[in-house]
Amino acid sequence: MGWFSSSSDDSGPKKTADGAFVAPTKSTRQKCYESRDAFFECLDRNNILDSVNSKKGRDAATKACGPADQAFEKNCAHSWVEYFKKQRVVNYQKEQTIKKIEAEGGEIMPPQLPVGNGR
Amino acid sequence: MSSTCNCIAGAARAIKVASPIHLPVQSAAARRTFATINSSRASIPSRAIVGNSAQCTFKAEQNALEGARRTNGAQGQLRTFSSSSPRHALKTIQQVRARNKSGPFNLTAAILFVATASGLYAYFTYEKERVARQRIANQTKGVGKPKVGGSFDLVDHNGNQFTHEDLLGRYALVYFGFSHCPDICPDELDKMALMYDKVKEQCGDVMVPLMITCDPARDTPEVLKEYLAEFHPAILGLTGTYENVKQTCKEYRVYFSTPSTVKPGQDYLVDHSIYFYLMDPEGDFVEAIGRNFTADQAARVISDHIKDWEKPLKKKDRWA
Repeated sequence: MGWFSSSSDDSGPKKTADGAFVAPTKSTRQKCYESRDAFFECLDRNNILDSVNSKKGRDAATKACGPADQAFEKNCAHSWVEYFKKQRVVNYQKEQTIKKIEAEGGEIMPPQLPVGNGR
Repeated sequence: MSSTCNCIAGAARAIKVASPIHLPVQSAAARRTFATINSSRASIPSRAIVGNSAQCTFKAEQNALEGARRTNGAQGQLRTFSSSSPRHALKTIQQVRARNKSGPFNLTAAILFVATASGLYAYFTYEKERVARQRIANQTKGVGKPKVGGSFDLVDHNGNQFTHEDLLGRYALVYFGFSHCPDICPDELDKMALMYDKVKEQCGDVMVPLMITCDPARDTPEVLKEYLAEFHPAILGLTGTYENVKQTCKEYRVYFSTPSTVKPGQDYLVDHSIYFYLMDPEGDFVEAIGRNFTADQAARVISDHIKDWEKPLKKKDRWA
């Protein structure tokens, strides 16, 4: 394993000598977000929500959006790919919950100081 | 305005002269004179030229006014008033009533009233906001203060030692993050750059923006320097040993999930709390700013706190 043998293609996130990804720059982040959006658009078209948590979902995503998935993996660190795929499911569930509450006549109050965990 | 004052002075003198001789009712009428100077002036000609047409009365009134203007001295004013005391004009009780109907309310009084009311309203609103901010700031002082923040011993992104003492004398905006953060930290750091610029614009260079990494294994000073330069050159990155970073996070009550032992090349994410912590120049915690604040709102909150600060602030002597 040489320095750039695992990522001889310059477009993806670079790796250091020990194989870890280097900290992303603004442009690599931008690239990652773009390929993520492209992949999610493909999932939307094919009505796939979960592309990570179940084997069925993973297979369906690979079958329908294989190339987009590969581009996504290439442009982002692996941990990011997993994070975004899981986030997609969580965000969908959140939306559904909010819709359900609103349909039942409840009100969502924006918290004064929301407790949130970031990544 | 000065002529009005003279009139009042003259009227007051007239009262002084008149009061020992005349009845209290009459002095009351004289007192009313300076509340309604205009009507007293109008009464001069109507009394002097009885039975004339309205036009003539108007002309005479003009003359009388001009005469009053010309005699500028207090003596002249006094004479004008003493000879034109309007008490004779109010002959009947109806006239007195008509005069009293408007009472002390005229345009000047109305303007004064509105101005005072709005002034008081503005003042109390401002005071209320200031006291509320003060309360938030004071909650963090003295007995029962939340123990957020404290001593730490880290390394800045230039490789120099950086401790809590380096922050004394300046406000600090502290953020915890890590360079491999996928989406929230970059957004928040962009916001931090905006906040910093806005606060600097309003209050001067009195606040240092800090980003303390929760991921010291990957975020070396060099990595942080390169990473933060993209957001704002003023943001200072702090890192250190795992123990020191952990201790700092504990001081700031920040939760984070970095594994203590990381294999080389391991790819992982870090969960951490995402607040901006505003610390005052004495190192005490002031307020936490969450994600729901926009950069503008946050900058306003911070600037207001900084403007409330009455003790000295060191400007530009440490990070110049």
